[in-house]
Amino acid sequence: MHIHNYEKIWLAASVLLILLLLGSVTYGAVGPGVAMVSDSEQAIDAGGLDDDDRFSEPRVEQVGENEYEAYVVAYQFGFQPDPIVVPENSTVTFYVTSRDVIHGFEVAGTNANTMVVPGEVSKITVETDDRQEYGLICNEYCGAGHHVMEGKVNVVSQAEFDDRNDGGNGE
Amino acid sequence: MSEAIEAEQTFADKFPEEARIVRAALLGSFLALTLGAIFGIIQTLHRTGVFRGFISSTDYYTSLTAHGVFLALSFTTFFLVGLFTWAVVRSLDRPLLNTKITWTWYGLMAAGMTMTGVSILAGFVDSIDMSADVLFTFYAPLQAHPMFYAGLAVFIVGSWIAGADYFRTWLAWKRDNPDERIPLQTFMVLTTMAMWYIASSAVAASVLIFLLPWSLGLIDQVNPTLTRTLFWFFGHPVVYFWLMPAYLLWYTVLPKIAGGRLFSDPLARVVFVLFLLLSTPVGIHHQYLDPGIAEGFKFISMTNTMFLLLPSLLTAFTVVASVEYGARQRGGSGLLGWLTDLPWRKPEFTGMMLAGLMFAAGGFSGMVNAGMNINYMIHNTIWVPGHFHLTVGTAVALTFMAATYWLWPQITNKPFYSRTIGLVQVVVWFIGMALMSNAMHAQGIMGVPRRTAEPEYSGFEYATMFGGFEELNIQIAIGGTLLFVSTVLFIGNLVLTMGNPKISGLADPLPPALSGPDDSPKVLDNLRLWVGIALTLVVLAYALPLAAIISRGGLLGPGVGTYPVWLSPLVDALANAATLLSAVVDASASLAEVVR
Amino acid sequence: MGQNETAHAPTDDASGETEEFDPIGTLTLIAIYFVILVLSWVYIYYIEFLGRDLVVVG
Repeated sequence: MHIHNYEKIWLAASVLLILLLLGSVTYGAVGPGVAMVSDSEQAIDAGGLDDDDRFSEPRVEQVGENEYEAYVVAYQFGFQPDPIVVPENSTVTFYVTSRDVIHGFEVAGTNANTMVVPGEVSKITVETDDRQEYGLICNEYCGAGHHVMEGKVNVVSQAEFDDRNDGGNGE
Repeated sequence: MSEAIEAEQTFADKFPEEARIVRAALLGSFLALTLGAIFGIIQTLHRTGVFRGFISSTDYYTSLTAHGVFLALSFTTFFLVGLFTWAVVRSLDRPLLNTKITWTWYGLMAAGMTMTGVSILAGFVDSIDMSADVLFTFYAPLQAHPMFYAGLAVFIVGSWIAGADYFRTWLAWKRDNPDERIPLQTFMVLTTMAMWYIASSAVAASVLIFLLPWSLGLIDQVNPTLTRTLFWFFGHPVVYFWLMPAYLLWYTVLPKIAGGRLFSDPLARVVFVLFLLLSTPVGIHHQYLDPGIAEGFKFISMTNTMFLLLPSLLTAFTVVASVEYGARQRGGSGLLGWLTDLPWRKPEFTGMMLAGLMFAAGGFSGMVNAGMNINYMIHNTIWVPGHFHLTVGTAVALTFMAATYWLWPQITNKPFYSRTIGLVQVVVWFIGMALMSNAMHAQGIMGVPRRTAEPEYSGFEYATMFGGFEELNIQIAIGGTLLFVSTVLFIGNLVLTMGNPKISGLADPLPPALSGPDDSPKVLDNLRLWVGIALTLVVLAYALPLAAIISRGGLLGPGVGTYPVWLSPLVDALANAATLLSAVVDASASLAEVVR
Repeated sequence: MGQNETAHAPTDDASGETEEFDPIGTLTLIAIYFVILVLSWVYIYYIEFLGRDLVVVG
């Protein structure tokens, strides 16, 4: 079969391009350490969230020095807790699940973005920088009130975070 | 040579019955295009906040479902079966075996799409207890009326019979021509339909085993990740199902219109084989951000997806080279000077070239979509519809409309009402889509979500990047309006064309390729082999993920409800009846005991 | 219309002009496309994506 030389050049360039794309994604995973939301969490009973340790009371909890976990429930049409308040310059792991249908969890304008599927728990860990208020939106169609489903993720100073949690249950 | 006689005979002269079928399919397709465009303009103005008076924000999702189903499924598929019928009959130069079968599949597809369409449109009428506001992807546990799913199943079965029709016609030809290579257009049709059988089997299974029984109340719940995965098993190859007829036109018709001929027949075959092999084992790239699917499976899917770029990149070269050949035949010269020697006044040429140019841009945003971890940035943002309005919304849709200017006279013996309006139409489409799609991509990078009636929120403002949010909204609204105007021009021109008298002399035969089929290895025509490899790749890509999904959530899902329950009154009535019945049974049993 | 392209293939081979054509214009256009693709990718991946807040690291 006859292939013109120019076409061979283009074929080689195309393969090179594909390798560049795959290489970039691999670099992102290995260098800056971007990890995919995955199957690391157990499946969960979407109808039984009220009896679940993490999701019966959606909240942010300190789990180590400068490490926090946020247990978030998405439902038609909102997020709990709202706002989600986390301290600056900390490592925060979001555990997000749905009470009803498929939702999205997107901290607008950032890379924190995941699907939220009933029966599954999405786990994503991020590092916060300075104080900032982010919008939190559902980016998957979830029913007639989809467009009003929003929340906030507020990154606050350590002092403000501690203040808020004072008088709480002191976890 | 019989050239002189052939030049006088159009497809309609030679195959009147088949021409009638092609016309019927194309008209079905254009009806869907008209409906889809009406919802499109309503949505553009609503979403951008320019005018929200047509529908409420709740009904926006009914409109969006209709827009997606009518355009992505109905417009594309009806055009495709019409085009494929033309391509098979033309390239084999023989009629279909039995047009009763042909009309059967056409009837099934039309009936199925009508059922689905009615179930969607009923959502606008409050007094009818029926709706299907589940969008084109119908993710459970959102539930549509059973007729939505049943219609889809009937539609898909119709398309399967269409495929069988093409295969049977080819087999009959093969018996008469045992030593001939499969003509290129037929080869393209057969590989596309083979891919379609593999891909659509998953969505058919999802609908028939899970979603339809569930919507009828026969099963209580489904596993949302499983039905979602089965959808995307079908949902990515379906984009190639739309695209491959456009490729068929670019490979076999565009070079002729440009004044030349196809550069390489063997490479065209290689490209279609690659699509058959690689289109399906990639669907998980739509689920990069799904929980419950291991990162490894996502990586494998990405690798397959990236290699799926190859056939498109090869196509870019082959098609442009064929056009360049045409330009040089017409006296074109210079490194790029030949570009001015092309028939830019022909709407079919300019339309297809602009479609191809937009596809090149769509190729870039597709690479971003395919790049696993960069998906965090744009997943479910309006970037994604920005992308597929370049691909299916222009590369496919504009190619189909452009091809109509060339094909319609061949299947009707009527010249187009106005080719000037046609030229304006394709250019307006291009400008409209350039505005709309560009602004959608830019908003997507800002994090503006797709699929929402009101993308503005009360709690925060989007950061400004490539222009502010409001400014980009205006671009989207202007672009969408131009697209609607373009559709009106197209449909209006076609309707006026139907009033034209029939004339003769419209035939426009297609030349063979520069490097003909005899130059391509015989193994390329071994469809059994390629289907076998395609199936193996699908099993490799999907067996483990599907097994893992089922073992995690069960076949029928972990405690997931139903939203909304369409048949709740019926189910309640049945439950009451059952209670009553068991009471009667109890009573009669105790009565029996008393009697005893 | 409706002719069978395989039937015509031999006549074309006989013409023997197929080797003459070098699509240099195509090669030029596609090289430009290649450069645009690479530059856009580098921008969107390394600057736009890796440069934003809340990179997911686990």
